Amino acid sequence: MRIEELVDRIYSIFKEYGVSRKEIMDRLKLLIYEFKVPENEAYTTVVNYLLKEYKIPKYEVLAPLTKIAEIGSSGRVSVKVKVIQLWEPVSPSISQTGLIGDETGVIRFLIWAKAGKPEVQENKSYVFRNVVVDEFAGMKRLNVTRFSEIEEISEDVKVAEVPAKVYGEVEFIGSLVAIHQNSGLIQRCSQCNRIAKGGNCIVHGKVKTVDDLRIRGVVDNGIENYEILMGEEVIKKLVGIDLETAKKIAQENLERKAVLDELKKKLLGKYLKIVGFLGVRFFRVTYAEFYKPNIKEEVEKILEELK
Amino acid sequence: MKREVARRVFAKELNNSTHVIRSGGEKAPVYLLTPLGLRCNRVFVVGALLEKEETKPESGIWRIRVSDPTGSFVGYIGKFQPEALEMLLDIDYPSIVSLTAKVKVLEGIKKKFVILRPEMINTADPDVRDRWIIEAAKCTIERIKDVELGKTEDAKIAKEIYKTDLEDYKRTVKDVLMKLKEEFELLEEVEEEELELEIEEEEFDIKDLFE
Ligand SMILES: [Zn+2]
Repeated sequence: MRIEELVDRIYSIFKEYGVSRKEIMDRLKLLIYEFKVPENEAYTTVVNYLLKEYKIPKYEVLAPLTKIAEIGSSGRVSVKVKVIQLWEPVSPSISQTGLIGDETGVIRFLIWAKAGKPEVQENKSYVFRNVVVDEFAGMKRLNVTRFSEIEEISEDVKVAEVPAKVYGEVEFIGSLVAIHQNSGLIQRCSQCNRIAKGGNCIVHGKVKTVDDLRIRGVVDNGIENYEILMGEEVIKKLVGIDLETAKKIAQENLERKAVLDELKKKLLGKYLKIVGFLGVRFFRVTYAEFYKPNIKEEVEKILEELK
Repeated sequence: MKREVARRVFAKELNNSTHVIRSGGEKAPVYLLTPLGLRCNRVFVVGALLEKEETKPESGIWRIRVSDPTGSFVGYIGKFQPEALEMLLDIDYPSIVSLTAKVKVLEGIKKKFVILRPEMINTADPDVRDRWIIEAAKCTIERIKDVELGKTEDAKIAKEIYKTDLEDYKRTVKDVLMKLKEEFELLEEVEEEELELEIEEEEFDIKDLFE
């Protein structure tokens, strides 16, 4: 690389802080020509020197303040946002997860438990500094790590209109290839809501339980798959069985398993269109229907492509 | 660990597979590499259950044969898959079924056999079967392209090992789709005929009324 290009790169980072091209050039020349330092070392050394000299916080340069609409698919950024929605974390490794937004758009965020940050609240505005951008299941996400900073601000950040179909909700079509054992008419601990098989909670031992209807399974399209969770409402709309019906089925057959068997018969191997939220481990289904494509049209389309 | 995807593959491609990939340690999943470069360990199949019989009386191991438009899959269900076995015993044949299964290769004296170890099996209907055929056709076409262009490492290896006749697979997919298309056209004709019949009857009734 020519030394002018290195100067350009460094200048583009620091021009707003009043650093001159000449200063950068002089430093680089000194390191490269006088001290025979390799270019990449010289580059890092000059950047670090300027950060210190001009008292610029590192994240301002490495993670510049960015509007949500302009966030790329990787790298580090800082954002000024309002917390729109908090979702129930699905794993102990996550402290908080949900949706944040500014006037240009909304994006999912995730505060890892290891980050050790104080909790954020819905409808409050914050500056998230030095957060890591990644993509999960095809959607951008901001990760708060222990190197990030969250500062509450008094300014009320205006938020772009969240579409009726909330951003973060995704659609997937595939076959329900598995329904796991702890599905159907299950018992939950009345204290912590965990599954309490046979009235035993792993945390609270023998407890009073509450009945619930749910499906844990896998929807698979032959290319990718998701572990899914479906609650009573979704199951009811899909196959017409609600909690009361499920209890009746269990009573008539003298076993809870009869509900699971019934759900398996109605759903296993069937193609479903599911809508819901993607978490770290689960696709939480908020709506599901049997998928009925126009087979004839599809066949004709593929045959056309084969010609 | 991420769950293995249930691949869509026609019987012909799967049954022609002989190459096994063992990736890493003992616990690492074993994959079958198909002639079209698909690395697969689990499949989802919808087809016609043609046979269902206990291998030996009281053995508790059932052999099934499920056919798709290109050939048939052979599967074994035993007491180690209690859920699948329970469901299988409830299913009559011949009938359309869907199943999710692990893929295994058995070494015979003369050749290798690809068999399925179903994890679940359930009754299905013609709509689900047609949808599956379309998915399998789409996936097969993608794989043919990959082998043609040497797009992935697996595609290159498959071409090398099997000397895959791509035209043969293309013809198979085309035949399957043409047959499906013809069935739909037949179905429409029948529906139209029935409709005409209804109209004629209606007209007849009306005339009758005025006589
Ligand atoms: Zn509990």
